[in-house]
Amino acid sequence: MTTVDIAFLLNGRPVSLSVEPRLLLSDALRHHLGMTSTHVGCEQGVCGVCTILLDGAPARSCLMLAVMADGRSVTTAEGLSDPLAEQLRDSFQEHHALQCGFCTPAMLLTAHCLLSAHPEAGESQIREALSGNLCRCTGYQFIIDAVSSLTERGGEGDASHG
Amino acid sequence: MAEEFASAPHFVGARIPRTEDSRLLRGEAQYLDDIQIPNLLEMAFVRSPYAAARILSVDSSAAWNIPGVRAVFTFADMPFVLPQNGPSPIDQPVLARERVRHAGEAVVAVVAESRYIAEDACEAVHVAYTPEEPVLDMQAAQKDRPRRVHDAAPNVFYHQEYETEGFQAAFDTAPHRLTMTFQTTRQTACSLETRGIIAAADPFSGRMTVYCGTQSPHRLRGDLAEMLQMEEHLLRVIVPEVGGAFGMKAATYPEYLAVVQAARLLRQPVKWTADRVESFLSDVHARDDIHDLEVAFDQRGQIIAVKDHLMADGGAYASYPFSGAIGETSLAAKVITGPYDIAHLSTVIDCTYSNKVPLGAYRGVWGPVASFVQEGMVDRIAQFLHLDAAEVRRTNLVQPNQLPYRNAAGMLYDSGSFTESFEHALAQLDYTRWRATQEQARRVGKYLGIGLSNFVEPTAMASSEAGSIGYESCSVRVEPSGTVTAWLGLGPSGQGHETTMAQVLADQLGVDLEHIVVLHGDTDAAPLGGGTGGSRSGPLGGGAAMQAGRKMRERLDVYAAHMLEAAVEDIAWEHGRAHVRGVYARHVSLRDIARIAYNDVRQIPSGLPIGLEVTERYQPPRPVSFSNGTHAAVVEVNPSTGQVTVLDYVVVNDCGTLINPLIVEGQIHGGVAQGVGAALLESLVYDDSGQLLTTTLMDYLLPSAPLVPRMRIEHLVTPSDGALGVKGMGEGSLIASPAAIAGAVNDALSPWGVSFERLPIAPRDIVTSLGRSSAAPV
Ligand code: FES
Ligand code: FES
Repeated sequence: MTTVDIAFLLNGRPVSLSVEPRLLLSDALRHHLGMTSTHVGCEQGVCGVCTILLDGAPARSCLMLAVMADGRSVTTAEGLSDPLAEQLRDSFQEHHALQCGFCTPAMLLTAHCLLSAHPEAGESQIREALSGNLCRCTGYQFIIDAVSSLTERGGEGDASHG
Repeated sequence: MAEEFASAPHFVGARIPRTEDSRLLRGEAQYLDDIQIPNLLEMAFVRSPYAAARILSVDSSAAWNIPGVRAVFTFADMPFVLPQNGPSPIDQPVLARERVRHAGEAVVAVVAESRYIAEDACEAVHVAYTPEEPVLDMQAAQKDRPRRVHDAAPNVFYHQEYETEGFQAAFDTAPHRLTMTFQTTRQTACSLETRGIIAAADPFSGRMTVYCGTQSPHRLRGDLAEMLQMEEHLLRVIVPEVGGAFGMKAATYPEYLAVVQAARLLRQPVKWTADRVESFLSDVHARDDIHDLEVAFDQRGQIIAVKDHLMADGGAYASYPFSGAIGETSLAAKVITGPYDIAHLSTVIDCTYSNKVPLGAYRGVWGPVASFVQEGMVDRIAQFLHLDAAEVRRTNLVQPNQLPYRNAAGMLYDSGSFTESFEHALAQLDYTRWRATQEQARRVGKYLGIGLSNFVEPTAMASSEAGSIGYESCSVRVEPSGTVTAWLGLGPSGQGHETTMAQVLADQLGVDLEHIVVLHGDTDAAPLGGGTGGSRSGPLGGGAAMQAGRKMRERLDVYAAHMLEAAVEDIAWEHGRAHVRGVYARHVSLRDIARIAYNDVRQIPSGLPIGLEVTERYQPPRPVSFSNGTHAAVVEVNPSTGQVTVLDYVVVNDCGTLINPLIVEGQIHGGVAQGVGAALLESLVYDDSGQLLTTTLMDYLLPSAPLVPRMRIEHLVTPSDGALGVKGMGEGSLIASPAAIAGAVNDALSPWGVSFERLPIAPRDIVTSLGRSSAAPV
């Protein structure tokens, strides 16, 4: 089968790759570039565990072909390394915001994006922002707590129901 | 219980963040599909497009011609079955043999250099079928209509009857009787990580290494050995990181046999991972039950007798080793009276084959169904007698002075806090206030409802979907450097055993948590044990860890006493150091002891063996230990859209001693979220030809963050008489929550006289029945 040469920024570093046009971006990241924190749960665009940041905005890598990443900038959870990312990791651990961990890298990416844009977010805004990231284990409550503790309100209002 | 610890318990009972988390948060954890093995081939399956058909021919010549295709297998190439002993005599073939019996059954296995090529090749395989009439309705199936699923056996593969003495007289003379039919539609665990397996021969020993996200590593190894006629010691099962299991990953599946056999035949590593469509078509389904129920009671709502015909559609084969149909009905029949004191019970069970996916385990198994039936029944009685729903529950609850209590089915509730948890839940919720709010809201056209759900949860049973090994095991080694390594036979999938088992060991050994590593899921290293399922890991795994830790500490005490020239009784441990009680200056470290035990062996106190290694097995004193609790939900229903919003949710949970409240609460949150799905969203829908219509997450809806309520949790502690007083708790939250939410929805709709007896209750169902209902709301 014919292949196409592509080049893009992966976690800030340039990568180039020769891929079949039909190769999914999620498979390229996982199986050709070793970024296995990008998980695959449905390939139907619903579960969100394949979330990446494409030029800084959350996108579902299972709904993209690898060739569509050509010339773009892709961030996976492996590439989240700023202070906010570390705070999020600590907060997730402290609040027990993960169980099997399969949804976790994607949750971190989405939460990172939310907090960068809306450090003032309240509980319902956080729930809304995470609504495209399914989790089958935690019932979301501790994820919400982990994220809200890093907002400007510092998790105040946790006790009231959302 | 203080004497069970080397020192005062520091770790058991503490809200300790998990050890597992850091690799997961960095994206470094290796789930099955992340494992890289050189020359790994991939398998894909041609699956049946028909619910029932005869296979006329398989033409795979075009598939063989695709570059990169390495093999195309049919049943003739791997003539193996998952055997069924006992009540259901029908074996499940690895690949369909002459007939297909459910849409999605694997017919042909293709192995290729990549999954993309394997899927191309699947499309090039031509299978010719003659369709047959599918068996889809469980009540018709009981009469072998329209036909038998398996020629060799009647459709009813499990039938049981039970009745308490004097049932009929009690039932006939009761002042009131009501009849109702409860139904749950098919659901499935839907872990976000799908199933998968890799088989790779170990180039050094020639043994076969199998990576699989199973809940029972040792059982899977035994099953593979038996079914594929291999020697057990030539197989090694390794459980990698598992992205959720919930009972569904306890089963041994046909695909597992196909992959291992392919790796044997091709002498090359082979992998299969399910895509989501395959998951819906091949992961065990659950909760396909009907309960035809009659209940007899008096004017106060005291329940006198319950008569229940329990039916379950088991699908095309009994899932191995645990038929969900049998599990759901036979256990429900034993606990259908829940925490209520009901003297008389009569049950009939019928489990049938159909042309659907096999029914297996999903968290709670029988429980979510039985609780829905039991609480629905109580609510119907309250409605009929115009009594308050809480009052009728008070009238019926097993009282503290009745414990231990043997229920009408003969199950012994060893201990519990039934009345206490109920009263605490009402207080937490502020039941009276919500009732007043509900009244006011109705006047302005808002419809609130309150749902109450009292549950019992049989845990730590000898037999569950994990298998029928009634014990769990733990090996502990103090390493030459003084750190501690422990191995358990469990198969966790996010429950945090690496942390909780370390907490138990840390207290037993008097060492700090960071000096303990807990490993699991490798049959080469872990002592033989049952695995994870049936809420057994906490009480049984915890019991094994405690026992192994204690055994090790007894040995360490002798060393310390010898080295400090003190009596064994005077030795105390803290932070990995033994001292003479009260005299901190006289101490030795674990490291000092380990050095002698391994290197300076002539100094070992007489009577002790060389080294510091023990393996212990723990079997609980009782065959089952009951957790209990109460869930209370408040919902608002929008009558024009059918939208249900959960406004408040309270859980009072009693699982005995808590090893780690943080982890217990996480389990509860997750179970309640799954209960929200079970009550309002999740439904596997078959059409009239036996096609599964819900094969994507756009059709089978999982609860997302905005839908799941904030939960308020209170713990009660009624210890079991097993190790540490721990009871299991992995399932109670999903057992109780569908009933609480369904009850709340029905309560909200009571002005219409509408009451749902079928789960899930979708917005469409609500709008349709309100439209049909003649009674206008008050
Ligand atoms: S794998 Fe991409 S959304 Fe589920
Ligand atoms: S932690 Fe398991 S799916 Fe979220």
